[in-house]
Amino acid sequence: MKIPLTFVLNHQKTTFEIDPWQTLLEVLRNQGRKTSVHRSCEEGECGACTVLLNNKPVNSCLVLAASVQGASVMTSEGLVKNGRPHPLMKAFTDELGIQCGFCTPGMLMNAYALIQDAGDTVLTDAVIRKALEGNLCRCTGYINIVKSVMVAQKSKLAGEWW
Amino acid sequence: MPDTYGNNTMMTTRPANNFIGSRAMPELVYNAPETMQDLMDLISTHGPFAKIVAGCTDFIPSIRTGRWRFDPGLNLIDISKIKALNRIENKEDILKIGAGVTLTQILTSPVVRASCPVLTQAVEQMASLQVRNTATMGGNLCMASPAADTAPPLLVSDAWVLIQDAQGSTSVPVVDFFTGPGQSILTPGQVLTHICIPKIKAKESAGFRKIGTRTAVIISIVSAAVKIRMDGDLCETARIAFGSVAPTPVRVAAAEQFLAGKPLEKRVIEKCAGMAADEISPITDLRASAVYRKDVAETLVKRCIMDCLEALT
Ligand SMILES: Cc1cc2nc3c(=O)[nH]c(=O)nc-3n(C[C@H](O)[C@H](O)[C@H](O)COP(=O)(O)OP(=O)(O)OC[C@H]3O[C@@H](n4cnc5c(N)ncnc54)[C@H](O)[C@@H]3O)c2cc1C
Repeated sequence: MKIPLTFVLNHQKTTFEIDPWQTLLEVLRNQGRKTSVHRSCEEGECGACTVLLNNKPVNSCLVLAASVQGASVMTSEGLVKNGRPHPLMKAFTDELGIQCGFCTPGMLMNAYALIQDAGDTVLTDAVIRKALEGNLCRCTGYINIVKSVMVAQKSKLAGEWW
Repeated sequence: MPDTYGNNTMMTTRPANNFIGSRAMPELVYNAPETMQDLMDLISTHGPFAKIVAGCTDFIPSIRTGRWRFDPGLNLIDISKIKALNRIENKEDILKIGAGVTLTQILTSPVVRASCPVLTQAVEQMASLQVRNTATMGGNLCMASPAADTAPPLLVSDAWVLIQDAQGSTSVPVVDFFTGPGQSILTPGQVLTHICIPKIKAKESAGFRKIGTRTAVIISIVSAAVKIRMDGDLCETARIAFGSVAPTPVRVAAAEQFLAGKPLEKRVIEKCAGMAADEISPITDLRASAVYRKDVAETLVKRCIMDCLEALT
């Protein structure tokens, strides 16, 4: 039996008809067409499906969609504003934090939460690596990913952010 | 072969053989009670044919890998929306942690860091940020994995859990909670509601260490926790516990008793660590050999005792 699910998706109140056994990953991709949320291991190991649930990064493959009733969910599509890529996205392209791109949307969401929560505290290499330990990059482009996050935080501290 | 019966429910069947890839979720009915009363009503309606979940970080992977299989129509009871279970209560002598409290809540709680730092230490090394944001300590215990990283800290802290069913609430020491791999004393229709941990006192210190094949997002090959209480230069009492070296998380009584009344000098620490390793009989599996596990267990006990001493000076 389908059930209605209402939550805030990328700043907009949204309602979908879902099966109660669907994961948030499936609903975001199938009903929501948010295909930046990548399906990969489906066991919480890789982080490619990371989204923000009430501003906290979670693996959407390990969340039952029915449990986000009334919550707020953000995918990397939600970072784009008026067709313009978010400064975080720009940092990843400028610093070559992207190779094949498969892990990127998950990395972006985790990094976004990290930078948002850090406030004025400058993020160190160690802090960034610890925060991103649940996101695997099989191109092993971690050095540039860490650099991208640092550059993105500089943009934020310079007022270039939303 | 499933190595468990889906803990705490009667609706498990055997997984299909030779299937590689992610298995479909069973058709289920989703229930999210908001109060204890609603939870207990749901349990009494569906009885053993319901599955309780909190963070789902063990539940979903267990289905995807085929370790657990449920018949369609499974009644799922998600306890994560019950406010009464989402709190860390700072009581006079104990911390009372609700079964719905996430690992992130524990990790970031100043109260836990002050009153049970060994738990903070363990949670810091568990899973990933994304998993910690939804996973609970209640789920970690009820899953009853021999590798459950919150178990050794709770064992050395003499913690106990509160279990509720239609008859009422009972309290069980964590040391009596686990009965085998994936198995605990919980019976269908019972829910773990709280974990109660005596606060650390003056002259006490505790430490946790774990070794895996890498340092992050990994199941422990061996984990160890030690707690000591000093009386002047002598160790008054000690607690030593391991994960991943036996069918359940375990304490090693002989090694603990050996430390009592002794000065914690190098010779004593080494003897104690050797005794602790002698008391366990780990298995060889794809993560490590039994011999390696014994070696690591011995070293971890030594290091944990030294960590405790350092923290006390
Ligand atoms: C990528 C990844 C990494 C991980 N790393 C670690 C690690 O480093 N160390 C570690 O120890 N674990 C690890 N885990 C395992 C898991 O995250 C933990 O065991 C977690 O604490 C489980 O909690 P949960 O709330 O998600 O449990 P759930 O999946 O919701 O439930 C687990 C089991 O407990 C039962 N249950 C849950 N709550 C209750 C309750 N209150 N009363 C009765 N039964 C209940 C459920 O029925 C189920 O059988 C990892 C998992 C993943 C996916």
